[in-house]
Amino acid sequence: MSEAVKIVENRKIPSGATLIFGFPDVGLVGIIAGSHIVDELKLEEVAYVESSLLPPLVVLHDGLPHSSIRVFGDGDLLVVLSEVPVPVEVIYPIMDALIEWGKAKNAKLMISLGGIPIQDRQDAKELKAFAAASSSAALKIAEDKQIEILTEGYMVGTQAILLQRGANNGVPSITLLAQCFYNYPDPEAAAEVLKQLGKITGIKTDIAKLLEKGEEIRLRARDVMKRTQEEMSKMKKPQEMDIPIYVS
Amino acid sequence: MVDEYFSDLERWIERFEGVYTERPSWNLRESSIEPLREMSVTPREVLITVDLPFTSKDTVKIKAVGRSSLEITAKMNRTIRSVDLGIVHLKGVFEKYSSYLHVPVPVYMSKMTVKYKKGILEIRLPRKR
Repeated sequence: MSEAVKIVENRKIPSGATLIFGFPDVGLVGIIAGSHIVDELKLEEVAYVESSLLPPLVVLHDGLPHSSIRVFGDGDLLVVLSEVPVPVEVIYPIMDALIEWGKAKNAKLMISLGGIPIQDRQDAKELKAFAAASSSAALKIAEDKQIEILTEGYMVGTQAILLQRGANNGVPSITLLAQCFYNYPDPEAAAEVLKQLGKITGIKTDIAKLLEKGEEIRLRARDVMKRTQEEMSKMKKPQEMDIPIYVS
Repeated sequence: MVDEYFSDLERWIERFEGVYTERPSWNLRESSIEPLREMSVTPREVLITVDLPFTSKDTVKIKAVGRSSLEITAKMNRTIRSVDLGIVHLKGVFEKYSSYLHVPVPVYMSKMTVKYKKGILEIRLPRKR
């Protein structure tokens, strides 16, 4: 792990856990879904990211400072949440540190939760979900649960790094993406991605409760969505919608 | 040399945008919140969408200001306290959304069409030829 990024552990970390990443991205799908898991399963903070590469920012909860990137966990589940978008300049060292840490903890599976934006999302009657993975064996995990595979295209952001590193370090890694708004917080897409996550991992959360809170989430998440838009623009996120030059 | 000039110009603009336009997205004095919105310009029209949770269609008001600006307001169907949104150092309530935007190309304001679905407002403005 680079000295510039440390994962500081508050508690004993379970070995062999499933490590889930919920980061701000299109539709804030990952952070909304990840936060819902943490709330529903009452996961406690077990570690956090400390790095001078990150902006000088803490998140205050009950008057006390917390890192903007924290790991919550219990038993065989670890969930990494970032309450602010990771600046594009430091996305590689942050993700590399978390992935190496997860590997050191013998994570059996790493999953990132996110979205895939569609035009006229407000007219969509139901949302589809897709998966991509770091290896054929990891892909099979999703295929066996009848999750459609994203066979071609570009991927930009934290999930791209997860898959890239997973392909090299041998830790099975999957990214789950639900159709969503590009620039608006999308709790319905988060609900869809949680349904697919449940099929793979058996993690059960009250999806109806998430949908009931939908408008509240959309209101509260506005500023995070605006900041995320800025970072997505810098990392050229719209490239995900480009037609690939080469199709296998 | 030309590329360098435009890169410098871009950086200059970014600095000014940071100084003059960074402000909270909420205004307690007016009890209003600035909603998220998107605008795209196509060859035929300008499409604007606005995310308006906790509203209903009948409370949305759209007003053309001059030939190239729109003022959009929408009353919320509930009052939200500042503390509910984590703004704990100031006391107040939010009751509406308010947004002012500039349309970057000439359009027919009088031919505006409006749709509202699940709290997403969609405005289409045909472009002038």
